[in-house]
Amino acid sequence: MNAIEITNLSRKYGKILALNHMNLDVPEGTIYGIVGSNGAGKTTLIKALVGSLRPTSGFVKVLGLDPLKDKWKLRMQIGYMPQMPALYDDLSARNNILFFGKGQYVTDLKNKTDEILSFAELTSRANDKIETFSDGMKKRVSLCCALVHNPKILFLDEPTAAIDAHLKMQSWILFRKLAQSGVTIFISTHQMDEAMLCDKVTILQNGEILAVDTPGKILQRGKTKLKITVNNETKITIIDSTSGDLATELKKFGLDKNISSVELQPDNIEEIILSIMQEKERGGK
Amino acid sequence: MMNHTFIIAQRVLSQLKGDRRFLTLYIIAPLIIIYFLKLLIDTLPHFVPVVNFTLPVCAFIVHFLSFILCAILLVQERTRGTLDRMMIAGFSKTSIIGGYTLGYFGLATFQAITSLTESIWLFNLNYKTETILLLFSVIWLLAIVSVMLGIFISTFAKHEGHVLPFIPLIILPSVFLTGLFIDPGRLPFWAEIIGKCLPLHYAVNIIKEIMKPEYQVTSTFIDFGILTGYIFILLALASFTLKDTE
Repeated sequence: MNAIEITNLSRKYGKILALNHMNLDVPEGTIYGIVGSNGAGKTTLIKALVGSLRPTSGFVKVLGLDPLKDKWKLRMQIGYMPQMPALYDDLSARNNILFFGKGQYVTDLKNKTDEILSFAELTSRANDKIETFSDGMKKRVSLCCALVHNPKILFLDEPTAAIDAHLKMQSWILFRKLAQSGVTIFISTHQMDEAMLCDKVTILQNGEILAVDTPGKILQRGKTKLKITVNNETKITIIDSTSGDLATELKKFGLDKNISSVELQPDNIEEIILSIMQEKERGGK
Repeated sequence: MMNHTFIIAQRVLSQLKGDRRFLTLYIIAPLIIIYFLKLLIDTLPHFVPVVNFTLPVCAFIVHFLSFILCAILLVQERTRGTLDRMMIAGFSKTSIIGGYTLGYFGLATFQAITSLTESIWLFNLNYKTETILLLFSVIWLLAIVSVMLGIFISTFAKHEGHVLPFIPLIILPSVFLTGLFIDPGRLPFWAEIIGKCLPLHYAVNIIKEIMKPEYQVTSTFIDFGILTGYIFILLALASFTLKDTE
């Protein structure tokens, strides 16, 4: 079953088309990544899904509900972590979580808050004011606020932007734990390495979907640079990133005994996404 | 929903309590400005009826500071993203407006008491207890109206700087057109009408009436009613303009 269904969704800001006739289904229990550069339409899409933005045209269903018409019913079942921490600096981590938890009528809120603080490894800083926290810690508190009511879907808008590699890794361990417990995670990012950690990825540019696939399949869409050195002379050939293509190419050489090394340099995810975007731009011209 | 209103009011109060700069500005600043007014008045010749505008000016100071500070704090909620987050977390816009009003209610009361007490003491005003209570109720009502005005105006501002143009648009005309220094009846008709649209006009009217020896409460019923009406009108307008969907 799909947790999110998007049909022909468009949103205009004046003359700018932020989302352009978008169609997308997100299966339940997956970590679904929306990848795109700044201004691609990621935040606009998330805002439309949580019901804080009215589409210009098209329909959205989240857990089978309309985010605008059924907003109160839906908001009890979703967690939203905005791009900025959106916390009260003068309150402690615990009190921030308690405040947003009260909005969701969470039963046994105090225990849930303790549990979630422990889950995010924040227990030792629970009573410290947010103004004393680093950006990465604030993001984790923000995640706790989005999680305290056990949502069925979690919308995360660039949750690991501007945090260090260690915290990013810890955050992803958290996301994976949540997904294993059945939570659907809809995550936006402009960091291509993060896209690789999702179950499925949609590449977005100027409000349009360029590709929807698993990260592995998107990787296969890249090219591989084949460098063959024969008698100290190096020949470079560009082939598709599949083992069959590699074999075909090597057969031309008969795997001569004089071949001293075969080195594969596949495109990384950033290069692939960049080339998909460039292809689209060329196609559009 | 009432529960949500109290939760937000509690948070606003705890934020105010923890923000010493804000508290100083909100409570101490009017007291300092009233003292500056005293210094100014002391330089005027004795035949100038200073009593006629000391308390109206005090009311204006409360009006201005309550408006500007409440508007800025609510705009900060928007720029920090907490306003959006509150709404997505299940708080309705009515409970947000109600919570803010309730949170500022106590502060507005405190500000009205301190400003009036200082004015009475500084300007040696001798009034009966009933008169002082009436003066307090006017300044207090005006403070609540100013908070509501701040909430309403904040819905048009995307950042703190957007609040500033409303000062010359709403606050400064109050200085010249509401009878703070002159009789508004002597203004051109159109200017008098503009003055009558501003809440300070009714507060100044009541204060001037109260200070008359022959004052009867019944003569200010309408002005009291209009001032109270502003609270409900601004509440309704703020509920209409505060959007939970872009």
